[in-house]
Amino acid sequence: MKKNWIGYAFISPWIIGFLLFTAFPFLSSVYLSFTRYNIITPAVWVGGANYHTLLTGDPLFWKSLGVTFRFAAIAVPLGIVAGVALALLLNLNLRGMGIYRTIFFLPSIVPTVATSVVFLWLFNPEIGLVNRLLKLVGVTGPPWLGSASWALPTLVLMSLWGVGGSMVIYLAGLKDIPSYLYEAAIIDGATPWQRLRHVTLPMLSPVIFFNLVMGLIGIFQYFTEAYIMTQGGPEDSTHFYALYLFERAWRYLDMGYASAMAWVLFLVIMAITGVMFWTQRRWVHYEG
Amino acid sequence: MAELKSGNALSLAAGVIAVGLLGWWGISQERESAAPHTAHGRIPVYYWHMWSAEWKPVMENVVTEFNASQTKYEVIPLQVPYGNADSKFLLSVAGGDPPDVMAQWTQAISTWSQGGILQPLETRMTPTEKNYFDNETYPVIHNNGWYKGHLYGMVMGVDVYACYYRADDFKQAGVDPDPAKFPSTLEGLTALGKKLDRTDASGNLTRVGFLPAGLTQFAPAFGGGFYDQSTRDVALDTPQNLKALTYIVDEHNRLGMDRLLRYNASLKPQNGADWPFIDGSMSISLDGEWRVQQLAKFAPNLKYHVAPLPAPAGGKPMASFSVTNFLTIPAGAKHSEGAWEFIKFWAGMDNPARAAKYNTAFGWLPSSPRMAGSPVYQAYLKKYPEYKTFVDLAASKNIVTTPPVPYQMFLMDRISAADDLAERGSVTPGMALKGLTKDVTRERSQRKELGYDE
Amino acid sequence: MSNLPVDAGTVGSTGFMAASRRSRAFLTGLSPAQRFLAHTALLLLCLPALLPLFWMVSTSLKPETQIFDHSGTFGLANLIPHPAQWNNYPKALEAVPFEIYLKNTLFLCAFTVIGAVSSSSLVAYGFARLDFRGKTPLFLLMISTIALPAQVTMVPVFTLFRWLHWYGTYLPMIVPSFCGVPFYIFLLTQFYRNLPMELAEAARVDGASEWRIYWQIMLPLSRPALATCALFQFLGTWNDFLGPLIYINDPNRYTLAYGLQQLLSTHGGEWASLMADSTIFVLPVVVLFFFTQKTFVQGIATTGSKN
Repeated sequence: MKKNWIGYAFISPWIIGFLLFTAFPFLSSVYLSFTRYNIITPAVWVGGANYHTLLTGDPLFWKSLGVTFRFAAIAVPLGIVAGVALALLLNLNLRGMGIYRTIFFLPSIVPTVATSVVFLWLFNPEIGLVNRLLKLVGVTGPPWLGSASWALPTLVLMSLWGVGGSMVIYLAGLKDIPSYLYEAAIIDGATPWQRLRHVTLPMLSPVIFFNLVMGLIGIFQYFTEAYIMTQGGPEDSTHFYALYLFERAWRYLDMGYASAMAWVLFLVIMAITGVMFWTQRRWVHYEG
Repeated sequence: MAELKSGNALSLAAGVIAVGLLGWWGISQERESAAPHTAHGRIPVYYWHMWSAEWKPVMENVVTEFNASQTKYEVIPLQVPYGNADSKFLLSVAGGDPPDVMAQWTQAISTWSQGGILQPLETRMTPTEKNYFDNETYPVIHNNGWYKGHLYGMVMGVDVYACYYRADDFKQAGVDPDPAKFPSTLEGLTALGKKLDRTDASGNLTRVGFLPAGLTQFAPAFGGGFYDQSTRDVALDTPQNLKALTYIVDEHNRLGMDRLLRYNASLKPQNGADWPFIDGSMSISLDGEWRVQQLAKFAPNLKYHVAPLPAPAGGKPMASFSVTNFLTIPAGAKHSEGAWEFIKFWAGMDNPARAAKYNTAFGWLPSSPRMAGSPVYQAYLKKYPEYKTFVDLAASKNIVTTPPVPYQMFLMDRISAADDLAERGSVTPGMALKGLTKDVTRERSQRKELGYDE
Repeated sequence: MSNLPVDAGTVGSTGFMAASRRSRAFLTGLSPAQRFLAHTALLLLCLPALLPLFWMVSTSLKPETQIFDHSGTFGLANLIPHPAQWNNYPKALEAVPFEIYLKNTLFLCAFTVIGAVSSSSLVAYGFARLDFRGKTPLFLLMISTIALPAQVTMVPVFTLFRWLHWYGTYLPMIVPSFCGVPFYIFLLTQFYRNLPMELAEAARVDGASEWRIYWQIMLPLSRPALATCALFQFLGTWNDFLGPLIYINDPNRYTLAYGLQQLLSTHGGEWASLMADSTIFVLPVVVLFFFTQKTFVQGIATTGSKN
């Protein structure tokens, strides 16, 4: 009993915040998903009609879910590999490291609206920098954001550009790896590669796990860049689930339906997160 | 009980007090900003709008003049960035604390009216005002903003589209640039456009004579559109729409889909000084009336003219799609009489000649012949003679606007998607329209099931 | 700083010292060839990282007509504005009430950073190091709160804040950060779980309270993580325009991010101003990061107890 009390005391700020600010909106939106609701007039109960329509009568639901899944399947692993690799590189003791780290962190702090404009220009099929560079080496670049098959990969590339954020977290994690572990490994005659595999990565695994879970949760709700740059096109190839949800909620004033969409997404995300948490036993190593 | 050293307890207490002070300060701020800051006991009228940058002073001038013209009300304007203005507005109405007047740029009057977000306006009109509104204003001003027999949005600014063309390009091709000699049929215009295309040695387009794009832009000239006034129903897969879309897609195919995609991408973005018409990438361009002021500012030496889009055989002349902005009074507004006074004043219901000043400042078309004929507006037309074509268009009966159905946002999104599919050559025009009809029909039946009325 | 039984800084016995010196030399001192490789890799990677930003800055210095010039050949010259319009910057600063917005933004940043970091680390310690009934379900519940898109909770949240009379104030943006932010709670939990148990165990044996262990052992050891959270929160508040947009109606209380949004108007995108404002917007954070990054990173970690 006494032990429980202390634990609850420490997490009390979150409990208070949850009860005050989160519980009501969450329960509210569950209720709203069973209604038709346009924000102003009181919600009218319709039972499972929204869910029924969602799962059987809305091709855009499946399309947008597919787009989001495809995006996540590539962007998340790529982001983790890039982030860890970059952090390892930036953890070396070279001169000017401070400047390098700042340079790589820069992209992730530029506001989304500016990033979107920059990338729209960068990937312009005719006058954009990327295709111009490709032309210099004799390759005709694809239409990037103007093509139904290239638009999504372009957004994946763009997401990589913001890897500086996770890189900083990995750097903090690397800093916390005690040097005696490396020392012991060296005494045992480990090569740099072996040190990476057996010391660095396992010690970094809690942070990698964090970025994996957060990355998945975040990417499933990705939509701002698509909203600004492609508006879901071309041909719905970048019509992300969260973008469609936004349209349903705030353009069509179909908030009940949007709530149902949100809760379906919630279940999907939590299922995947649950699997992640279950597998962490296998590969995540906690020193404490 | 976990031990708390006195030092820690003290810092904890200090923290709680700090948060408490913050909260108290916060609440007092709300009371401050909620209190109206009006002069001399005037009733405040809160007005939210999205005009920023160089348009903000223009907007605020209207407010200042209204405030100076009477002593009962004081309009307090707030500029809200366009991208999220709708969310902010909707939330404020939902929360019961809306502004009294809201400018609306999204073509969502019907959607919002069905949602009970707006108040009717025509009930506030005096007989004289009603007379002016019904009998004198142009059709596009009068016929839009209605839903189920009530006027929920007062149309203020109207965008219409006509053909801008470069005089020198015409002369080069041996054609007289006089507007009176402009092709009188769409077929003639298309042929002329073809003559004006230019490619470079490797076959890439360097100039396009006339590139039709956008079903919404061209359907009106073909007699198409998306709403049938007589049946009061949405009409999508009509022969006229099909003709219009086929025409557009044929032209795209003629120029080459891929070539066109790259050419379009190479054009500067459409805003302001970068309009491709200015640097000659296009000889003829269907565009809106606001370009006149921009051309005067950014390319004063460019020789150009404006002519209405000619109709195809069997089509409608002086036709255009039109996007309008509105002024609305939200449901639950606390000072709706003041709101209406402001709207009336700005629209010039009592004195269109006075309101002409505001229309010209914004670069808007006039709302009635009386306004168009006023000295201020005539002087404006003298300054920008090419504007006259647009004024003539504004008076036309063949203006097509967003259908006044509650699912209009869904409808326009789907139309745009179908248009995109067809113009990229992924589906035939016929298939695109059929797919569009299927999507919309399905959405309507689902709405009916949920209990929405139309 | 404390009378703990274990000194967190000792290295070890003599035999160990020699090895650690060697290892540290090995780990810190790369061979010249390796240095060269590393620098090359970094420089190559810097190009894609910097190029878009460079374009941003160069656009901000161009006169409006030069921005989308696509004439003829492509050359690096296209990226260099010619002539550079330095006065785009003062002009951009005039377009929005910069000082007021900056003051407001800094105010919000200060409070949210303090609130988020302090509360999140408290909660994280609870989840990471203490045992109590329902810990795992509560932890998953906490994470699940960010799995629901905010679009559909906006209306109930707004209604809630109105009911609390916080509409028109900064409170909706500040107070929730004092109740722990799931992102940081999760992050700090991972860090705390990765710290060795021995220090805490020894302190507990000595009769120290959990609060003391948290305050005097865990917090100092997790400084890089705490600094990272502070940085992210600062960034988040700095960039947040939705909060001020929805809850504030007084133009004098708006923030920089909101000001940036204000620059986007229809019928004319002022690219130069937008890019100039974006650059100004980004600068303080860059400077902050550059001068504080020592807190997050150090070449080789030298903390942590020996075994």
